[in-house]
Amino acid sequence: MPEYKVGLENITTKDAYLNSRPIWGRIINFYFYKIFLNFITFSPRRQFLILAAFPIVWLLTQHLGPMLQMLRVSLLEAYPVAEGTPHSFTIDNYIRFFGDYIFWMPFFRTLIFATIFTVCTLVLTYPVAYYLARHVSRKNQMLMLLILLIPFWVGEIVRTYAIMIFLGNTGAVNLVLKWFGLIERPIPFMYTGFSMGVGIVYLTALYMLLPLYSALEKLPKSYTEVAADLGAGAWVRFRKITLPLTLEGISSGCILVFLISTGFYATPVLLGGPSTTVFAETIAGFFHYAGDEWPTGAAFAVIMFLTALIITFLFYRLMKVLRKGDT
Amino acid sequence: MVSRNRIILSCTYWAFVLYIFIPLILMIVMGFKDSKFIGFPIKSWTFDWYISIFSDYEIIYSFGYSILIAIFSTLISVIIGTWIAVLLEGRKFWGWSPVFGLMILPALVPGIISAIAFRIYARWLGIEPGMGAIIWAHAVHNVPFVTIVVMARLSTLPKSQIEAARDLGADPLLTFIRITLPYLIPAILGASIFCLLLSFDDFVRSFFLGDYNATLPVLIFAMLRSGMSPEINAIATIALILTAAIGIWAERFTRKTNKDNKI
Repeated sequence: MPEYKVGLENITTKDAYLNSRPIWGRIINFYFYKIFLNFITFSPRRQFLILAAFPIVWLLTQHLGPMLQMLRVSLLEAYPVAEGTPHSFTIDNYIRFFGDYIFWMPFFRTLIFATIFTVCTLVLTYPVAYYLARHVSRKNQMLMLLILLIPFWVGEIVRTYAIMIFLGNTGAVNLVLKWFGLIERPIPFMYTGFSMGVGIVYLTALYMLLPLYSALEKLPKSYTEVAADLGAGAWVRFRKITLPLTLEGISSGCILVFLISTGFYATPVLLGGPSTTVFAETIAGFFHYAGDEWPTGAAFAVIMFLTALIITFLFYRLMKVLRKGDT
Repeated sequence: MVSRNRIILSCTYWAFVLYIFIPLILMIVMGFKDSKFIGFPIKSWTFDWYISIFSDYEIIYSFGYSILIAIFSTLISVIIGTWIAVLLEGRKFWGWSPVFGLMILPALVPGIISAIAFRIYARWLGIEPGMGAIIWAHAVHNVPFVTIVVMARLSTLPKSQIEAARDLGADPLLTFIRITLPYLIPAILGASIFCLLLSFDDFVRSFFLGDYNATLPVLIFAMLRSGMSPEINAIATIALILTAAIGIWAERFTRKTNKDNKI
């Protein structure tokens, strides 16, 4: 026993640590662990390179790769490239889009619809976010926000189907209208731009609501109170204080909703009709069959993506200018 | 004056809640209607549609198939997403912004375009359409969501904890395993639930990268194209209850751990 006590006095912090946690102690004293550790922590530089190597490779091959490959295929004359023949590049696939006005209609329809739906979502969710952030007590806020979040856990297809039932000829809307005696025959909501709009707003509302809510929540109540004390009316307070200071939330919400609504495929197929074909359906059409139409489809997808990116970028710049101009 | 505004705003909120919930409630109700025809009025009720989907091999199979895909893709995206988050939340390095931009890219690409890009890339890589391709596409698509959530959590990790561990003689790797990783667990769990649901609900990628085996959303889509039936209501209701329950549970869980950590 005495020897043991002598030993205890000489125990270093590290040993004490090792004794208290035998598993970890055994692991870090394990020969291969030490070799591995020395290898990765040889120098800060090497440590960083080892940490960074895998993510960089992943990002380049998996995140950027599909985009670049799509761009490459869109420039090919034929895909898959027949063996033995050289890769011949061409811009015919892009010219096909600009040369045939059949493709313009769905293209511009997609952009116009996406813009309209984005504005509708903004107008619809702004009061809701405002109410939640400004008029509800802290404790109820979370609960009331959570109520709105529940349906958004449910998938795209299920919610689209719910809208189909909602707007159908014998659906709830028609039933209520009939009940009030406003109509005699059901209004055919379905398979029009209207039903598609209701569906897409239904699917994207959350992506608008959350940025708006967090922007409004950050805005101190005292700002509008000061303005009210100085004699500003409700409209002026909203126009001069609340709106300019939440422009950031508005712009990120709008960008998200715009990008998402250009990419919907199932919802327009199920809720839209022949007169509301969107570009996503046109693009998808090239991929339902065997390979030789792929380059055209890829070119169309590139055109769609670039246009959406340019529009969002211009919108972002505009918002930035507005923000600077107002504050 | 102020109270009038308040009443109008609260009406808007409740109208919005109705808009969000009525279609779903309607869908659930129609699943119990004793008639092939969807719509009002409802004369009698039945459980037959639920019984019939539980005896349908195809539906049960696609349900399990979707869950399997969700689990595998989540495992991949959680590991990779966390790794990227640790890299990005560490010291700023040359080229940080492009790396961040690349990381977020799959979440910003519109659905159809991302599906097509994955389809083309899978063919180039030699991945056959099917389960593997869907898992891969879902994994890549979900990485940004994991990274964002984990980065947010990592930014609140007190530096003093790391320093204390290092002062006590722990090496960088051990510090990561025993300090950083346990601290990240709530975020990682939350992110994995989110990924599971994203993958389970995903339609576009599963549709373009799948073979003849359909995932649940693809199956519902195929059934819908051939006409509405109360069976679809029953399947959709089960999917809805399952996803909503998991979502609410995860939401409460993350909220609770956030609260615990603040104290």
